[in-house]
Amino acid sequence: MTDLLTSTPTSVHPRSAPARIWNVVRLHLVDRRTYIGIPWLIVGMAFVVTVFFAQIVGFTNGGLGTPDAIAGQRYSWAVLAPQGYLIAVGVQAISFGFPLALGFGVTRRDFYLGTALLFVLISAANALAFAVLTQLEQLTEGWWIDTYMFNAIWLGIDGFWVDLFSFFVMQLLVFFVGASIATIYMRGRMPGMLVFWSSLALAIAGAVTIITFTSNSPTVAIWFGAQGIAGIFAWLLVPTALAAIGGFWALRRATPKN
Amino acid sequence: MIEAGKPIFVQIAEQIENDIIDGVIEEETSVPSTNEFAAFHRINPATAGKGVNRLVEDGILYKKRGIGMFVATGARQRLVGARTEQFRANFVGPLLAEAVKLGLTAEQVASMINAESVTDRMASNS
Amino acid sequence: MNLTDPAVRVTGLTKKFGAFTAINDVSFTVETNKIYGLLGRNGAGKTTLMQLLTGQQFATSGTLEVFGASPLENARVLQSLCFIKETQKYPDSFRPAHVFASAPWFFANWDADFAGRLAEDFRLPLNRPIKKLSRGQLSAVGVIVGLASRAPLTFFDEPYLGLDAVARQIFYDRLLEDYAEHPRTIILSTHLIDEVSNLLEHVLVIDEGRILIDQDADELRGTASTVVGKKTDVDAFVAGRDIIFRDGIGALASVTVTGLGEAERATARAAGLEISPVSLQQLIVQRTTSQPSERDADRRAPGQRGRTGAGNGHSAEGRGDTPADQTESKTDAWSAHS
Repeated sequence: MTDLLTSTPTSVHPRSAPARIWNVVRLHLVDRRTYIGIPWLIVGMAFVVTVFFAQIVGFTNGGLGTPDAIAGQRYSWAVLAPQGYLIAVGVQAISFGFPLALGFGVTRRDFYLGTALLFVLISAANALAFAVLTQLEQLTEGWWIDTYMFNAIWLGIDGFWVDLFSFFVMQLLVFFVGASIATIYMRGRMPGMLVFWSSLALAIAGAVTIITFTSNSPTVAIWFGAQGIAGIFAWLLVPTALAAIGGFWALRRATPKN
Repeated sequence: MIEAGKPIFVQIAEQIENDIIDGVIEEETSVPSTNEFAAFHRINPATAGKGVNRLVEDGILYKKRGIGMFVATGARQRLVGARTEQFRANFVGPLLAEAVKLGLTAEQVASMINAESVTDRMASNS
Repeated sequence: MNLTDPAVRVTGLTKKFGAFTAINDVSFTVETNKIYGLLGRNGAGKTTLMQLLTGQQFATSGTLEVFGASPLENARVLQSLCFIKETQKYPDSFRPAHVFASAPWFFANWDADFAGRLAEDFRLPLNRPIKKLSRGQLSAVGVIVGLASRAPLTFFDEPYLGLDAVARQIFYDRLLEDYAEHPRTIILSTHLIDEVSNLLEHVLVIDEGRILIDQDADELRGTASTVVGKKTDVDAFVAGRDIIFRDGIGALASVTVTGLGEAERATARAAGLEISPVSLQQLIVQRTTSQPSERDADRRAPGQRGRTGAGNGHSAEGRGDTPADQTESKTDAWSAHS
């Protein structure tokens, strides 16, 4: 023991809460490909495919740049191509990130706040990028080749700020839906999944039934129309917040799977 | 080197004692550090330290501040004395017990020892 | 948080998974800067206990303090811990390089040079996806994090699965060297007792969720002896002693007892009995295999033995286990004994 007693005892300086939460963000981003590389690779591939199909659509509609050809491209979902992958990223942020973070001595709270902060930051960055690309696409009249990928579905209709806001909300919803599904699995395993999906299915079926039986379908359609793009996405903040809060609640008592 | 079923600190202490008795480590020279013992025998450093400390308590080793452990003067002689006593208890006793079981007389045992020692290493000791 | 307190203090700790009791009313302390062996059979509750100590599992009842406070959601305590499980999961695209790049953000004492040297020692390909690593290489990742993090309380959970004999020896050697230079509390969970017994200063043996032995390793090593001889002689000698294990063939008996002094050994030898030492592994095997169900026959219904999997890290879904690995993980002290 003599040698041991003379050595300096190992000690650890506590880190502040913001530093701990930021370190969780860095942990998620240590492999840049997950959140940045692969999504933009998918966007790039979607663009190549879009250019290819734009030529065919333009050709069959009597030339690119005609109003019909431009309107036709608005129905393309290519701009949302990375979102399927990003739901899976949201799932994996929890299902793989959570066990590793706990092994690294992170609290559930710090892990969740760091992960949520990451989602907000990536959503903001993606929203800014897609809103700017939408503007550029309009300015260059479809990248000088009449090819529109970003001016699609609802983007590019109500201007830069609505694009920015709506994409941000959509992106955040995608991440939190993925994360909360993984969290519910982490907390309740298969029984938890069963309860979650059956109650969700019941709720949707219930809502549809009520709307149909009260013959309110037109009313609902009118209501949606009245909200406008910004309004609808503002309403989407509600399920986003529910998913975020629900995920936090579920994770506080979750244990990593062996 | 380290055998099972016996406290390791005892074995470490015995090995140092053996080295002193054999003259591998001379009096007033230093013995390896606890961590060196631990690394060499692949044992817990605290356990190695316990073995060394036992010899310090027995007055076989002494500590020089900041330098290490040294073999005390007269350590060898004291160890030989203690070991002789142990030899009698551990070997002579069971030897005689076995002899009694086989019905050997004390003379027979003594002559067996003499026959061995003539041909063997004890001859060179004397 | 006081790092000179006992590292761990547990009182009446119980963890139930439904009807199955993984940890059953356990109390012990872990002193700082010692190497502890947490030994027990597969499914004894080792991993569950470590998950409780690291705040990964929630206790059913009892109290649990690590460095003087509950580890649950306690950032101050958790920053001093490192627990990479045998079945540790990593993000899908991770490579070992990512693990070692992020570790310093969580372990204040992280030594990147040391981690690099260890990766070379273990011949770990730093840029191969973790998914594609062999079982041994995957274990090496956990071992390197555990060693290079130098956390004041480090857990190693069966850290060597799939590691070959050379790699295991590297692990034991590096652990001892680094521990000597940077003393810290280490809890090493294993069922390969013979390999690690010399590294341990203290032994905790857990069996069916209870602490069976909580003793200084060296003291324990000297406690038991096996007495072999004619059955009648052996029985006469061991009468009234603490018998751990009894075996015999024909008129011969072999009985393991505790607490034999020098004088008693001499008496036994004089009576023509053979006295042999008992290794730590033999001792623990005997203590955990003898009368396994008498102790709590009322607690466990028949056929429930197999349910012990709920609380440990040995579920069959562990990644990429080859049949060879499976065999290896099963050749533990206990199965070798039988």
